Amino acid sequence: MAPIVQEQQSPEQDTLESLFVVDADVHIHEDPAGMADYAPSPWDVALREIAKVPERYLDLPGMSPRAEYRVPWPGGSNRKQTVDSASEMRSGLNDLNVDRAVLFPDHLLALAMVRDPRFAVALAQSYNAWLRDHWLLAEPTLKGSLVIAPQDPVASAEDIRRHAGEPEFVCVYLPASGVRPLYGHHVYEPVYEAAAEAGLPVVMHSVEAVYPTFPFQLEVFQTSLAQHAVAHPFSMMANMISLLETGVPVRYPDLGIGIMEAGISWVPFMLNRLDKEYTERRREVPFLQERPSHYIKRWYFGTQPIEEPENRGDIVKLFELFDGAERSMFASDWPHHDFDHPQYVFGLPFSPSDRRAIMGGNAARFFRLEA
Amino acid sequence: MPREYVVARTSEIPEGSHRIVRVGRREIGVFNMGGVWHAIPNLCPHQRGPLCEGAISGTLGYGPDTDWKLDWVHEGEIVTCPWHALEWHVPSGRCLAFPDMRLRKFPTRVDGAEVRVIL
Repeated sequence: MAPIVQEQQSPEQDTLESLFVVDADVHIHEDPAGMADYAPSPWDVALREIAKVPERYLDLPGMSPRAEYRVPWPGGSNRKQTVDSASEMRSGLNDLNVDRAVLFPDHLLALAMVRDPRFAVALAQSYNAWLRDHWLLAEPTLKGSLVIAPQDPVASAEDIRRHAGEPEFVCVYLPASGVRPLYGHHVYEPVYEAAAEAGLPVVMHSVEAVYPTFPFQLEVFQTSLAQHAVAHPFSMMANMISLLETGVPVRYPDLGIGIMEAGISWVPFMLNRLDKEYTERRREVPFLQERPSHYIKRWYFGTQPIEEPENRGDIVKLFELFDGAERSMFASDWPHHDFDHPQYVFGLPFSPSDRRAIMGGNAARFFRLEA
Repeated sequence: MPREYVVARTSEIPEGSHRIVRVGRREIGVFNMGGVWHAIPNLCPHQRGPLCEGAISGTLGYGPDTDWKLDWVHEGEIVTCPWHALEWHVPSGRCLAFPDMRLRKFPTRVDGAEVRVIL
């Protein structure tokens, strides 16, 4: 591994401090008791019960069913990997030189795996209302992603319409871990209609989990190294293919589509693979007027966890393979275990204009943020 | 010309503990491992995380030293960076994940009740 210590200054005098930095993916920690105040009966009772249960990192019985049981060795990172308030988040982001950030949840990353669809809807709706009141209105530089419960797309569409027009929300969040069917399925049409109507892009984001649906049957592996290596990118690949094969980008041409926390090195592979399939099997997807890469190159990609090759110039080459400089958004994943410090992405050998775009410009366009 | 800096009293860093001291603009982690003293930069070469704020533990090993069996090794000698959990063996300064990477180790000296670091 090449040491990453380097000067923060790029040749044209941009510094991390002087750039407008948007962080497309940071995580807030839910407060079940606080969410209960926004939940309809009887789900408020359940949330107050959950608040009594001791929780572990991304693991709260009743709320984040990830079924992941690791051997508990001592040691490892002792850093606090949760953020509990808007002011704590703002303070942490100040240390990272982040000007604006888009908030995603902790436990509700696992929302698609909640068994009871009524509870899933209550969780999503109470989270959105609690998030707005306690985080977004408290700190205007923090922007919200409006979580949906994929178990009930109709109710989710209603919640999107309920919050449509609130400037605190800048995207609709599609929880991808364990989601079934995949997001290209027609059952999600109400969600895409409501998001397009509200002018909000949709963003897919996964989390490591072991769950009996493709591609989360990760019990085949013995270690979290193996499970985590594939959980995020496989989930994004599966949903990317699903959206393409049912023509979501064609049916909703103005709908922005974003992908988080899967790194970027798999994207060129996926584009080339889909384009190759298209030459032979176009008749199955006649709604596509162009090769799949034509559509996917309009999507936006969070950078985290950015790959760390020996030669940092390899990252720039990877971006070139999918026009990534025009569509990639710096994301830290703060405060999670594998967060990326912005100085690494800032220090990659991009052109000055590409660097500015990746560190903030692209995200400002995708989320319609003002500087 | 190397200089000695008094960074702590021995009683302030009991065996099995460590603390971060400042010498000029440098932050240095000073470790008391079974009465043997070590000093390393409080800076992880990976992404410049505050390495010495990490926890001390052992870790899992597997190789010729463990007769090719999984074993718990280096108890009390591993510091884990709180940012991304990269493991470092403090006595040798070696990075467990990347054997080519080594931390700078500052010489130490105990003079009576004073712990000194030589820079």
